[in-house]
Amino acid sequence: MRSTTRTGAVGGVLVAGGLLAGLLLTGGADDAEAGRAAPDGLPHTGIEVSPSRCGRGWQHPHPGLQVFDLHNTSDTAAEVYLKNPADGSVYGEVEGIGPGTTRQLRIRLGRGAYAFMCLPDDTHAVTGPTARVTGGGPAGPAAAPVTEHDLIPPALAYQKWVGRGLDGLVGETGRLRDALADGDRAAAEDAWLSAHLAYERLGAAYGAFGDADGKINGTTAGLPDGVRDPAFTGFHRIEYGLWHGRTTASLRGPATALAAAVKALRDDWAEARMEPADLGLRAHEILENTLQFELTGRTDYGSGSNLATARANLDGTRAVLARLRPLLVTRYPELPALERKLDRAQDLLDGFRRDGRWTPLDRLDRRQRERADAVLGDLVERLASVATLCDARRTV
Amino acid sequence: MSGVNGVGRRGFLRGAALAGAGLAAGGAAPAQGSPGTGGTVPVPGPALGTAAAPPVPFHGPHQTSVLTAPRRVTAFTAFDVTAGDRRELAELLRTLTARARALTDGGTPADPGITGPPTDSGILGPRLAAGALTVTVGVGASLFDDRFGLHGQAPRRLTAMPSFPDDDLRPEWCHGDLSLQLCADDTDTVLHALRDLARQTRGGMQVRWRMDGFSSPPRPSGTPRNLMGFKDGTANPDAGSAREMDRLVWAGRDSGEPAWAVGGSYQVVRLIRMLVEFWDRVSLTEQERMFGRNRETGAPLDGNHEHDTPHYAGDPKGDVIPLDSHIRLANPRTPATDGQRILRRSYNYDQGVDRNGNLDMGLLFCCYQRDLAAQFEAVQHRLAGEPLTDYLTPFGGGYFYALPGVRDTSDWYGRALLT
Repeated sequence: MRSTTRTGAVGGVLVAGGLLAGLLLTGGADDAEAGRAAPDGLPHTGIEVSPSRCGRGWQHPHPGLQVFDLHNTSDTAAEVYLKNPADGSVYGEVEGIGPGTTRQLRIRLGRGAYAFMCLPDDTHAVTGPTARVTGGGPAGPAAAPVTEHDLIPPALAYQKWVGRGLDGLVGETGRLRDALADGDRAAAEDAWLSAHLAYERLGAAYGAFGDADGKINGTTAGLPDGVRDPAFTGFHRIEYGLWHGRTTASLRGPATALAAAVKALRDDWAEARMEPADLGLRAHEILENTLQFELTGRTDYGSGSNLATARANLDGTRAVLARLRPLLVTRYPELPALERKLDRAQDLLDGFRRDGRWTPLDRLDRRQRERADAVLGDLVERLASVATLCDARRTV
Repeated sequence: MSGVNGVGRRGFLRGAALAGAGLAAGGAAPAQGSPGTGGTVPVPGPALGTAAAPPVPFHGPHQTSVLTAPRRVTAFTAFDVTAGDRRELAELLRTLTARARALTDGGTPADPGITGPPTDSGILGPRLAAGALTVTVGVGASLFDDRFGLHGQAPRRLTAMPSFPDDDLRPEWCHGDLSLQLCADDTDTVLHALRDLARQTRGGMQVRWRMDGFSSPPRPSGTPRNLMGFKDGTANPDAGSAREMDRLVWAGRDSGEPAWAVGGSYQVVRLIRMLVEFWDRVSLTEQERMFGRNRETGAPLDGNHEHDTPHYAGDPKGDVIPLDSHIRLANPRTPATDGQRILRRSYNYDQGVDRNGNLDMGLLFCCYQRDLAAQFEAVQHRLAGEPLTDYLTPFGGGYFYALPGVRDTSDWYGRALLT
């Protein structure tokens, strides 16, 4: 009985809230400017989005946390920025506002000049009138947008770096194949680790290498017969065999296939064009994969080299960041802190290598494992900002 | 029953006007009209406990969250500090304070624009209700090792939780450098806070163990029941009495604590599995004689109502309330044991099944006191070997010291310890 009453009451409130929201949207700018409280408790301002009337409706600029109801009155979808008209830095954005629809931009404004920029999907951007806010506390953070044009040089440089790495990897996987052909298990184990780290250093996160990654570095995930599944190939297939007492002869086939797959990837890469907008995502996601698959031990098939892989992934992250650095210096105030944390992660991981041998993950004591999780966890929190800042945005 | 559970929702609906106002965390505060939203609809909710809980201001000499009656849900999390040095530890505690303040005050989280992903997980919608959450932060003995230069500054009685005779402790469920207890009336509120706090402190601390708990609604009235079916917490000291709390809960200068620790309280957490399948095969009479209370009403076996006081003097041989019953051992109600009473703030827990398919549920026992040895441990030693232990397996938990309160907007958890 009680729960019925409660549900009923909540339902009633929701209906009232919906009505209020409806009034706000249809009431025009004056109602909003008069400070009618919306259900979210924030002041709302209705703003028009269209090529001819971009940014209209902002009659009384005021500081503080507030909401702009961006209403697209045109017949094409549009993107909207709220920017600083003096330097073009962006305080907030809403993408993909469909014709006739209204989307909200919640933002904190401080003293300064602001202008809405409307970017219709198929035509040039239009900047609306400048609004000046006087008084008030600090504004929310802003950054200059990074354009696809900005990202092309670093993407090309990165792509070349990966190409050189793939050249080296072809040699490494060749040596692994040869060691197994010679029946030299010790040499094969060394060659396996060296080749695998060379691959991991390239930061093959989130399908950067497409289907090739599955052949080269796939796990048993999704394979009905697990380690016996014929589709289980590549580094981890060979790792499983080497560290589970399989004969070297039985691993020749997989090693030959691996070498061939790497060679094919190298050749394809030379022809491919990397999407420049992916660079920022890579900077972030390589270490997300490290957390998900290496620091959990998920990808260990016997070599106990997850920490070595994590260290290689860190190199891979640095390789991306080095190319993005010129764009980040002016946009990301926390960059120096990020770089210090990268150094700290590197020192920590290097400390897990003793006398040339990497400590298996399960040999870390609790404190060591917590430190590794903390240091890399802290890094991905920071790198997430690199990804959002380096999303490719239009400016015209 | 209206109002008891509705504060968070009212806060949500009423908007910014409520932020910063004194908030009733429980109790039957009348719903007030709210200018601007056209009035407020009272939202009925199940009542917890019988007495009105005190308001929960974030700032003050104590963490008032210690005193509030159990809310519907809790997440108790022990963390290990991974901060590299003392400066980073201070930074961690400042961040923890700022986020705890923001999460309990409510409001609309700032948006980072294009400079980062959303600062808030969004699971509570755009606006956080004021007063929907309480946060309690404690420190464990291990924080006072050689990492942060805190050696010798630990609260006088703080040690790692020992293993008691009936315990079967599992190391992965024990101890921790810090304890964080989040309480709210909705699970999403607790999880939102936990995600926020863990995210904002990612480099400085790591989760060591976590146990979620819930408090049942009164069935049909009075103190909530534990998962053995008995009302649990009936004879608690009066959290509304400042004098009683000063005498039993808050540690002060007169109890010999270091100056930085004045206003804190020893927090004991015990994770106690209940062997509920076995328990359900025990006759009602035997169950009631083990507890010393009537299962249905919660009354002591020599009384008629839950809050009747047992008269042990009139039953010296334990004919009515057995001498080894839980309530009689725990609180003999003598002048000598009066100062041993503890403030219990326990929750039920439920975490799936064990490897044999038995239900894994029990008690997330939590209590506060000003002196571990004179209170919790004295009671615990008296309870050793009580008949109830056959149906219980304490397997984890820890001793912590709930820090003194955050006094104002410039104060932070542990400031007096670290500066």
